[in-house]
Amino acid sequence: MSQVVVDARGVGRTFEMPAGPVHAVRDVTLQIRSGDHIAVRGPSGCGKSTLLHMLGCVDAPSSGTLLFDGQDVSTLSDARRSALRLRRIGFIFQRFFLLPMLTAAENVELPLAEAGAPRSERRRRVAELLDYVGLSHRADHRPSQLSGGEMQRVAIARALANRPQLLLADEPTGELDEATGAQIAALLDRVNADGTALVIVTHDAALAGRAARVLTMRDGRIEQEATR
Amino acid sequence: MNALAFAWRSLVRQPARAILGVLGVAAVGALLFDMLLLSQGLITSMRDLLERSGWDIRVAATELPGRSGRLTGATAMAERIAALPSAKSVLIVRTADARIERSSGRPIDATFQGVARRSREGASITPPWTVTRGRDARGSDEAVIDTTIAEAAGVDVGGRITLRASCSADREALPPARLTVVGIAEFPFAGPNEAALGGSLETLRSACGGNAADDADLLLVTSAGESRETAAAIREAVPGVHALTNDDVVGRLQQTGFTYFRQISAVLTAVTVTFAVLLISVLLTVSVNQRLGEIAALRALGFSRSRVVADVLSESALIVGLGGLLSLPLGVALASGLDRILKGMPGIPADLHFFVFEGTALAVHLGLLAATALIAALYPMRIVSSLPIAATLRNEVIG
Repeated sequence: MSQVVVDARGVGRTFEMPAGPVHAVRDVTLQIRSGDHIAVRGPSGCGKSTLLHMLGCVDAPSSGTLLFDGQDVSTLSDARRSALRLRRIGFIFQRFFLLPMLTAAENVELPLAEAGAPRSERRRRVAELLDYVGLSHRADHRPSQLSGGEMQRVAIARALANRPQLLLADEPTGELDEATGAQIAALLDRVNADGTALVIVTHDAALAGRAARVLTMRDGRIEQEATR
Repeated sequence: MNALAFAWRSLVRQPARAILGVLGVAAVGALLFDMLLLSQGLITSMRDLLERSGWDIRVAATELPGRSGRLTGATAMAERIAALPSAKSVLIVRTADARIERSSGRPIDATFQGVARRSREGASITPPWTVTRGRDARGSDEAVIDTTIAEAAGVDVGGRITLRASCSADREALPPARLTVVGIAEFPFAGPNEAALGGSLETLRSACGGNAADDADLLLVTSAGESRETAAAIREAVPGVHALTNDDVVGRLQQTGFTYFRQISAVLTAVTVTFAVLLISVLLTVSVNQRLGEIAALRALGFSRSRVVADVLSESALIVGLGGLLSLPLGVALASGLDRILKGMPGIPADLHFFVFEGTALAVHLGLLAATALIAALYPMRIVSSLPIAATLRNEVIG
């Protein structure tokens, strides 16, 4: 049986607002195993992104327990959670968030440098990743010189830099046209097939349809789970 | 990519902002540097001027030489001081207002310095001027003049001048004295627009119609040993006079007239540092607020809080560092111009400078700039340090 990467037990997230508390996520129990391919769907404001942020350790649950690789995330300091995200979790954002002053290669190199990888290792890994996402010829281009699809591929390469166990994608095709979105979906399939657990939050039915497990959320709860 | 390299790229990314920041710091830094030079410049310059003159004790009727009040019985007093074992030489200095006639045009108003020497056998005595051309005045009808008189009267070494001097406060109608110019000299304690000539005390008294009292503006003493001990010996031998070493003169000036410059420079230093802090802080805060999404994404990717804080601090250090470097030549140029303007004030010796370069001023300048970089970065560092990652990412998508 494959290893459990994330074990969420009854996690919830409540935001204190002036008009009263907002329960963005309620009592979600979920296990993510290595090699899983999960899509999270649901209407806007149902708590998909909040759940994703908790799974990625950028937000802390208000209730319940979240274990990453068996370790209770709530017990970790901010620095330890940063280190966990750097080495074990990859993030892909709808708006890419590439640094405009850096080239594609430098953007991919950033997490490697932050993790302290030696220069030669960084160069080798950057070349490997850009080749993996099909952008070797665009290594020295800045984001402003790339198309939307190319920027998202660079972002995927950046997310994979430190060989994460879990890759989280928040609307990865949200800013792309249908054909480009399909190319990104195919690339994500390949990442997952190569052994990285993948959780995608999306409104895109075609993208969600490629996942092995599809979670549908409503009012902060997982209303339905479909397995393919 | 380390924090400094990252910060450099961030600056280059927004060149207009970077140039604005660097130029702002350069301008403010130049003012700051000048204020630091001004705070000690007069004191340093005055000490240098006093030490260069070759005299280490000044005996005067008042606390600060140059103020009103003369020493009476100057010749006997000088004899008594010269007889002290710790005194090597004494120079009696008496000044008088003089009007030098010209063949055409208004006469030249000048200050006539008459000196008389008393010294031990073999001791050389420096006059309160430096002969740059010709020789020093020795005879009773000889004088050295400064370039202002030489140019205005059209006289050079070997020529003659006609002057009327006044040694008393009362208006006098004295016959003119004719003197031979034997040298061109610099008078370090004369103002830049002040004309001066020098000669023997005998010459001065003669030019005053022979009715000058035996008094002096000051006695300049060279001590044989420790100047402080010699000054004490003079005070004991001649009660009622003020015998001040160079350090005493500088100390008194620090407590009186020069305090204003120190206070002004302290206030302006505080203002310029505050302005620099506000400028950099605003630029960095705007820059950080424009990049909140990127910063939140970097934090989500695993960049530590200390790393993103270091990026902001490095950016501040780069702006202040580059601006600070530019501020030095700019400050020197500005100081030179301001020095010229301030030296135009009446009664300021030509060789006195308001802005004097000192290593400590540079060290304080660099220290203040470093503090500016740190303080200016505090607020933007707090923004990135306390940035809620999830909420920021959510807001970026909604926005």
